[in-house]
Amino acid sequence: MTEDLRTEEMIINMGPHHPSTHGVCRLVLTLDGEVVKKCVPVIGYLHRAIEKMCENRTYAQCIPLMDRFEYVTAMSTNWVFALAAEKLSDIEVPERAEHLRVIMGELNRIASHLLCIGVTGLDLGALTPFLYTFREREMILDLFEMTCGQRLTYNYMRVGGVSQDIPPEFIPKCREFLSIIDGKIDDYERILTENPIWIARNKGVGIIPEQMVYDYAISGPAARASGVNFDIRKDDTYSIYDRFEFDIPVFYGCDNYDRYRTRLGEMRQAARIIRQALDQLPEGPVRAKVPMNFKPHPGEVYARIENSRGEMGIHLISDGDKKPYRLRARGGSYNHLMAVPQIAPGLKIADLVAVFASLDIIMPEIDR
Amino acid sequence: MELAPIFIWLYNKMLEFGLGITAADIISLVVLAVVVFGFLAVTALFLVWWERKISAHIQQRFGPMMTGWHGALQTIADAVKLIQKEDILPALADRKVFFWAPVIVFVCSFAAYVVIPFGDGLIVSDLNIGVLYIVAITTFTIIALLMAGWGSNNKYALLGGMRSAAQAVSYEVPMVLAVLGVVLVTGSMSMNDIVRMQSAWGGFRWNIIFQPLGFLIYVIAATAEANRTPFDIPEAEQELVAGYNVEYSGMKFAMFFLAEFVNLFTVSAIAATLFLGGWNGPWLPSWVWFLIKTLGMVLLFMLFRWTYPRLRVDQLMEFAWKGLVPLAFVNLVYVGIVARWLNW
Amino acid sequence: MTKDELTGYIMQHFSGRLERIENDQPEPYFIVHCDDLTALARFIHDDPKLVMNFLMNLSAVDTKERFEMVYNVCSYPLKHRLYVKTVFDRDHPEVDTVMGVWPAANWYEREVWELFGIAVRNHPDLTRFLLPDDWNEGHPLRKDWVGKDVVPFPER
Repeated sequence: MTEDLRTEEMIINMGPHHPSTHGVCRLVLTLDGEVVKKCVPVIGYLHRAIEKMCENRTYAQCIPLMDRFEYVTAMSTNWVFALAAEKLSDIEVPERAEHLRVIMGELNRIASHLLCIGVTGLDLGALTPFLYTFREREMILDLFEMTCGQRLTYNYMRVGGVSQDIPPEFIPKCREFLSIIDGKIDDYERILTENPIWIARNKGVGIIPEQMVYDYAISGPAARASGVNFDIRKDDTYSIYDRFEFDIPVFYGCDNYDRYRTRLGEMRQAARIIRQALDQLPEGPVRAKVPMNFKPHPGEVYARIENSRGEMGIHLISDGDKKPYRLRARGGSYNHLMAVPQIAPGLKIADLVAVFASLDIIMPEIDR
Repeated sequence: MELAPIFIWLYNKMLEFGLGITAADIISLVVLAVVVFGFLAVTALFLVWWERKISAHIQQRFGPMMTGWHGALQTIADAVKLIQKEDILPALADRKVFFWAPVIVFVCSFAAYVVIPFGDGLIVSDLNIGVLYIVAITTFTIIALLMAGWGSNNKYALLGGMRSAAQAVSYEVPMVLAVLGVVLVTGSMSMNDIVRMQSAWGGFRWNIIFQPLGFLIYVIAATAEANRTPFDIPEAEQELVAGYNVEYSGMKFAMFFLAEFVNLFTVSAIAATLFLGGWNGPWLPSWVWFLIKTLGMVLLFMLFRWTYPRLRVDQLMEFAWKGLVPLAFVNLVYVGIVARWLNW
Repeated sequence: MTKDELTGYIMQHFSGRLERIENDQPEPYFIVHCDDLTALARFIHDDPKLVMNFLMNLSAVDTKERFEMVYNVCSYPLKHRLYVKTVFDRDHPEVDTVMGVWPAANWYEREVWELFGIAVRNHPDLTRFLLPDDWNEGHPLRKDWVGKDVVPFPER
């Protein structure tokens, strides 16, 4: 009798339209009941040919395109492009501009981690922390709107500095935000970190062992939650990060729970950096004297920064013209999605959704 | 101001008109059915609005504010919208099964109200197997969920329906065992008898004082029966895009939706009746006490939903069979020993 | 290791097969012949003084006379970086896969194949990636590609 009770494997499509694939990603899953046997990501739904477009625009015109390359942390994408262009020229960025860049970059990191934690909760059914993290994110977006007029795609950094100075209301409002953020992070910890259901859903799920981190070039909080202590701000310092004191949270559990805790720790450290940067903010110009038609020296360079998703890098090749010759933008989620088919077999669908959310995969970075 | 005398007066008036007892009985049953149905429809609308306001205030936002006073007419607007939607039937769906699933869910949710005591003398029919009747009726909805999942001809719906059936069946066991503790002490399965047992001490001799563990088990099992977070895997939007009712639209979807809220009211009413003293209470009319206690339980279920994440399906089953069932047996033994010892 | 130490160490082990490019960036730049690519990759990955196990970026460039593949590598424990290029003909664009050394190169090489037309030998899965499934209009990132409805960005 039991030979007749065969179960068939089902091929199900967690399609581009799905409330929890963070953008338009299609996963073709082979399921045996609830358990995923094979997972094949199909991407390309958001391909906008940014690299080809950048070859036809001047350096200043490329910056809004880089905003859209990864819109959740648009400040970082602007920054890495400006860094790459500055490496190929003799421009020296003024001190005030460097401090402003650090403040904006770290505020953006906090905003991005708030989004990630809220959305992870949302995917697991904890609908309330999502609203709470977005309440804090509103404060950060108000600060950005005060500075550059935009809430999501900022177009703020320029080659040689930033585009405009901060208004006088910025600093008191920023300090007010910094005074409450630590208390709010404690709130999130109280709702989620010790919650037995949260622990049951996240501990031991989505394990990325250390060797997989090396093999798939995983960086950022996902790598630091697996015990790999690599942070570009400390290990390959750019801008003025060597003047600030901050720690790098590293955990060894390799699972969703530790990735969540790494992000909480990073938010606290980012707040610490912003406090120091605000204290040390000097007067001065916010942009170096850059000619209208900026032409870097001919050459090739690879610039990288620590984004909230991992390493963001720009490989820029210039032939001395006012347009880049070749631009290749690399985002952290690309490698994370490459690793998902290795983690997926053996997980249940509910776990796969949780892993996707906790790896913080953002599709525009992958499709460009 | 008690409501039972009104119905008794109506019944006597009908007899005075010269109708026979049978005709008067039939008419009064029809009237009672309409009244209960009307009350439940209004309650379901009220509960939908209340859930949206409570969830909004927990999440530091306002919820519906535009339609009527603080959005009170929002549910009616939603119902009108759902009524005028196109009723889509998927091409390869199993027609009969697809059609009858929401009907069965709806009917079974309402049929449980035959034995719920709304107040002193306000019960449609005081069956002497009241508790057994309720348990049996609520089990019928499982078949309907399976029908909905299968009839939609959709893999997501099938997965949702099967998960839902597994969950409902598993949590029936501890729920019945917890209820059994109350029945043991009362000595009868009639709902009115259970409420009368709790009328001593000025109306405050509630069963929860003697069986707190039973109450806890019942609340957890009832959350699972009502498909509420943390046990709402069958409707998990983020994973299965609404589970077993993904292919339903228009009025059929509205039936599933309203039946879910009626179910919530049912389990709260049962909890209030069995453990919190039913309609007993000083000064206020009995039906007011019933409403207060039931809505208090509803509030508790709503707070659960907006605080906790949801459990994965295998964790849910493990919790039911390895956690709640042994605990329920311990509770039963405790009730048996203590009741015998104290000669209740 | 500093830039000069790195340069010296690698040139020592691969003398004659590597060409160095002068630059003022903090990492050494090399050009390697495409036959020696796999050997170089294996060397810099396995050598205990180098441990270059982080493939940061893999891109292809179309200088109008030839194709170049650029590998940016770094080391997780030792933190130093390297910039390695291999060049080959426009008419026969073929290169060996480095997936054996860095499995992360999987999708990078797929993308290079799709957008440039550079065939990657021994790759397990060279299929359509970013472009639509029915794309038959050539390899877009080549410099001589002309798209059907591409409008040049207006000059100011």
